[in-house]
Amino acid sequence: MHEASVNKTAELPNIVSLIAERIKGTSLAAHLITWENLIFSLAIVALIALLARSASRKPSLIPGRLQSFFEMFVSGIDDFVCGIIGPKGREYVPFIGTLFIYILCMNLIGIVPLMKSPSTSWSTTLALAICVFVYVQYVGFKELGLRGYIDHALGRPRGIIAFSVFIPIMMFILHVVSELVRPISLSLRLRSNIWGDDMLLAVFAGYGLPAVPLLIFNSLMAIVVSLVQALVFCLLTTIYFTLVLTHEESEHNAR
Amino acid sequence: MELLKLLSTNEIAAQVITFLVLLFLMKRFAWKPFFKVLDDRKERIASEFKKIDDTKNEVAGLRADYETRISLIEDEARKRIEQAIDEGRKAAELIRQGAREEGETILAKAQESIKQEAAQAEEELKDRIVDITIAIASKVVEEKLTFEDDRKIVGRFIKELEKK
Repeated sequence: MHEASVNKTAELPNIVSLIAERIKGTSLAAHLITWENLIFSLAIVALIALLARSASRKPSLIPGRLQSFFEMFVSGIDDFVCGIIGPKGREYVPFIGTLFIYILCMNLIGIVPLMKSPSTSWSTTLALAICVFVYVQYVGFKELGLRGYIDHALGRPRGIIAFSVFIPIMMFILHVVSELVRPISLSLRLRSNIWGDDMLLAVFAGYGLPAVPLLIFNSLMAIVVSLVQALVFCLLTTIYFTLVLTHEESEHNAR
Repeated sequence: MELLKLLSTNEIAAQVITFLVLLFLMKRFAWKPFFKVLDDRKERIASEFKKIDDTKNEVAGLRADYETRISLIEDEARKRIEQAIDEGRKAAELIRQGAREEGETILAKAQESIKQEAAQAEEELKDRIVDITIAIASKVVEEKLTFEDDRKIVGRFIKELEKK
């Protein structure tokens, strides 16, 4: 709670918190404060969806400006994912690409005055990491089957008595722990980086005019960090998919 | 455990739903149509390039065909020219030979006629000599002159003869 309260006091005001301040004491204000991040998330969702809709309304072979931007984005993500996973990666491109653009927008919106990055909240990033976790496990089950999935978790090599019982059990535990830790590390990394950046902006803003150069510099840094963190999140997600899928491929090759 | 207090189950659930909604919307509005457009374009470009390649090959084939045809035509022309030259040469040879033969016959005829004329002249000369001799002899017999007169008469005849 302590960190949360520090969090609240240090943050720059945003449009939702200002409205809540205006109608202080009402239940709506409390709701606004509680769902602050969600409101920004929904705004971003609406923005992205609207842009995508208007870009793809009349897709033509000779694209307009918005369409070519989206095409560049789509083919960029497609190259990125298929470059790592292989031709099978096409299936996961929409998931990873959506994650990327969503996280990027959430990160960047914090730089805009009177806006807030929903990704400064661990709940937001954990929700995304949980989606990744569930989808990766689902793909694992789907591609490997229950037996294959457990076999995958037991690890290699196996054969001699110690290798056939003891080490696989240890490997299984290790595997489960590493799988469970992934969403936590994934979400905390993203949340902490963006939160740190926003805090820095808030602190510099607190110094007033003399800190303006620092503020500008840090805003530029925040853009870079936003991009890098979105990339890292998606890169790791892609690697999780690759780990599940390559196992299946090597199994096929072994057979 | 301090960290866990940052979390709110409701918010996590709401954010999961938000993300799933976005995923659905993006699949519908962005990924599907853009993949389709990109694939269509890729396919179209590939097919256009294939068409271009095909046309190029066709053109190359046609060109090779025309080139062989042109070379055939050139060969044919050369052959014909050579043939014409040969024919010309032969005709010239024939003409030359004909001329030579004609000349030879003309020459032979001329020689023949010269010979005949010479023989005729000889005959005539002989006749004249005989006539003259007879005339001289008859004159000598007629006149019965002296030796001196004989010599004069013979000398005169010879002079007459020379004059003729």
